[in-house]
Amino acid sequence: MPTEPPSEEPPEVPLREVGARSPLVHVVGRVVSVRRRDVVRRSDGTKRPLLAGLLSDGTASVRFTWWDPPREDVDRGTILRAVGAEVREFRGRPELVFSWKTRVGPAGPAELPRLDGDRLPLRTVRELEDGQEGFRLEVRVLTVAPKPVSVGEERRVVFEGLFADATGAVAFSSWSDFGLVAGEAVLLTGGYVRTFRGRRQVVLDERAVVVRVEAAGLPEPAEWLRRPPRPIADVEEDGGGEAVAIEGLVVGLLPPSGLVYRCPQCRRVLAGGLCRLHGPVSGVADLRARLVLDDGTGAATVAAGRDATERLWGQSLADVRARLREVEDPAVLEEQLAAAVVGRRLVVRGSASCDDFGLTLEPGTIDAADVDLATAAEELAARLDGGA
Amino acid sequence: MGRREPAWRVTTAELALAVEQERGQGDRATSYLLSPFGARMNRAVVAGTLAAAEAVGREQPSSFWRARLTDPLGTVSVTAGAFQPSAMAQLRTAPAERPAIVVGKLHLFRGRDGVAEVSLRVEALRSVPEAEERATVAETLRQTLDRLDLLERLEHEPSATDATLRGLGFPSPWIRGAREALRRYPETDRAGFRASLRPLLGHVAGLARIATSAVADPRVSIHVDRPRAPAAELTEVDRQETATFLDAVDQAATGSEDGYADVREVLRRLEARGVAGGRAEELLGRLEEGGLLEEPIVGKLRRA
Ligand SMILES: [Zn+2]
Repeated sequence: MPTEPPSEEPPEVPLREVGARSPLVHVVGRVVSVRRRDVVRRSDGTKRPLLAGLLSDGTASVRFTWWDPPREDVDRGTILRAVGAEVREFRGRPELVFSWKTRVGPAGPAELPRLDGDRLPLRTVRELEDGQEGFRLEVRVLTVAPKPVSVGEERRVVFEGLFADATGAVAFSSWSDFGLVAGEAVLLTGGYVRTFRGRRQVVLDERAVVVRVEAAGLPEPAEWLRRPPRPIADVEEDGGGEAVAIEGLVVGLLPPSGLVYRCPQCRRVLAGGLCRLHGPVSGVADLRARLVLDDGTGAATVAAGRDATERLWGQSLADVRARLREVEDPAVLEEQLAAAVVGRRLVVRGSASCDDFGLTLEPGTIDAADVDLATAAEELAARLDGGA
Repeated sequence: MGRREPAWRVTTAELALAVEQERGQGDRATSYLLSPFGARMNRAVVAGTLAAAEAVGREQPSSFWRARLTDPLGTVSVTAGAFQPSAMAQLRTAPAERPAIVVGKLHLFRGRDGVAEVSLRVEALRSVPEAEERATVAETLRQTLDRLDLLERLEHEPSATDATLRGLGFPSPWIRGAREALRRYPETDRAGFRASLRPLLGHVAGLARIATSAVADPRVSIHVDRPRAPAAELTEVDRQETATFLDAVDQAATGSEDGYADVREVLRRLEARGVAGGRAEELLGRLEEGGLLEEPIVGKLRRA
């Protein structure tokens, strides 16, 4: 069905109200993610550029496709006003198409729709999904720390940490300083959820609203950060999680482990003196151990950094480098590290993520497991006596 | 793909009673040894006292080593071959009679007499202080009891869904193993097995040392329906295919560096001669059971 060009501008709507019933809309939103690519025309083989990404305005996130976009980069975070955008439906969800019929231009934060917090649904941490927004969240701040980052030329500070409610914990990163303090309970409006390197996080920008609340039933940080270990199979079934503890035996060591050389620019581990991104560079020596921890229900890879590796191995980076001069072959060092760690019982706490290769833990702490044999024997005796 | 199989915490007694296998299909498929008590194992952890290793075979230097691992309930054979150089080195060089934790892949060997024997091919091995070995025995006992509880529940409530059982704290791989155990070992004396675990308690408490010399067989009866084809009923086709199979093994063994015939290589040769994969697996099983072929290392065949 051909669409008539609009005689007058369609009225501005929040993204949450974009639907197939109104084929042309007027929206204002922030670019949350964006990728430029070319589509080859079948007719003549010429290329046609497009930008594809996610647009959000605090009420919802909607995918957009922008045909023949401006040549200059459209950065993540840019706010756009699009008048006469076409609405299509894909797998039951609305998407926006910016075509020759659409006027697209930059806009300011003040032009984004006003968030009426009370009308947004209250979600729990467990209910959060990638790309979600337009919700309120009542959580306790478990941890928070500033982290300097560079965005293009600009130096900025991001506040990173963990939120938790009774259903779980989630990482957050805040581009604005809301003065968050560990231990306080807050009601958040205007955040959105994204997944970065397999790790889900709540992103807060300057439009988010943070209100301190008195909340009963929210976990205390100390209690959350000292939770007992969970079965690895369960953590895997949850797709990972924050402030997760697991306990198991080290049953293997994955390469590259031991002495590695990292790219001085991006910290990636070099392979044959080459960085995947920066080519031949002069590597910086470092220690790491990719431990396979197994608890009988499942296995997880624990990515131990230099400090933890030094402690587990009982060797400092300097010791190992000195030894390399004697043994020549770094593989021998890796075997020595394996001999030092395999079979040890550890408790690991940290942030867990899941991909096709299974569960990986970025450890916050790695400790030798403390087993009280007398108590274990009593508990087991009671079970054997009480059993059928 | 690529998910790592968990290492089941089992006693030597449970391994001794595991005679059922689930063979995966295809090139990279995983095979499992199934125990009557819900372990569906590709790999396992066993804690106990490890004896000195001995070389197997006449080659010099030997490329295959074996040691006995003993826990309060029995003993299991632990092996390492030339394909696991660091595991082999650890098995060979470690002092005799020490507490150890062994992680390994499971291998079921059926001898000429049809008696099954399980061995553990070392992936990782550590000589540990006795307290650490006892901690792992405690963990093994706890998980064994958990699995017995799960079987109990499933038997009384066969319609229980996975979600219900997960809600009760049973991890998914265990639920799958338990369902499989009930199907494959319908008449198992679990109460007897449970009672036979008692010697582990004394060991955990530090009251008993493992006696590596005299270990009684666990008195547990299991029943497996395994129809066995009598040898007399071999048809001419069977005889031809058996000959073809053994030829393929000989050819693959002649061409290999270690003298063993790689199973995949054998299957490829058979397929080229018109013996399809499923039929070949069947023949392999029969020849192993009939004592004509051995698989001393997983995936490596030789004439018995
Ligand atoms: Zn680099």
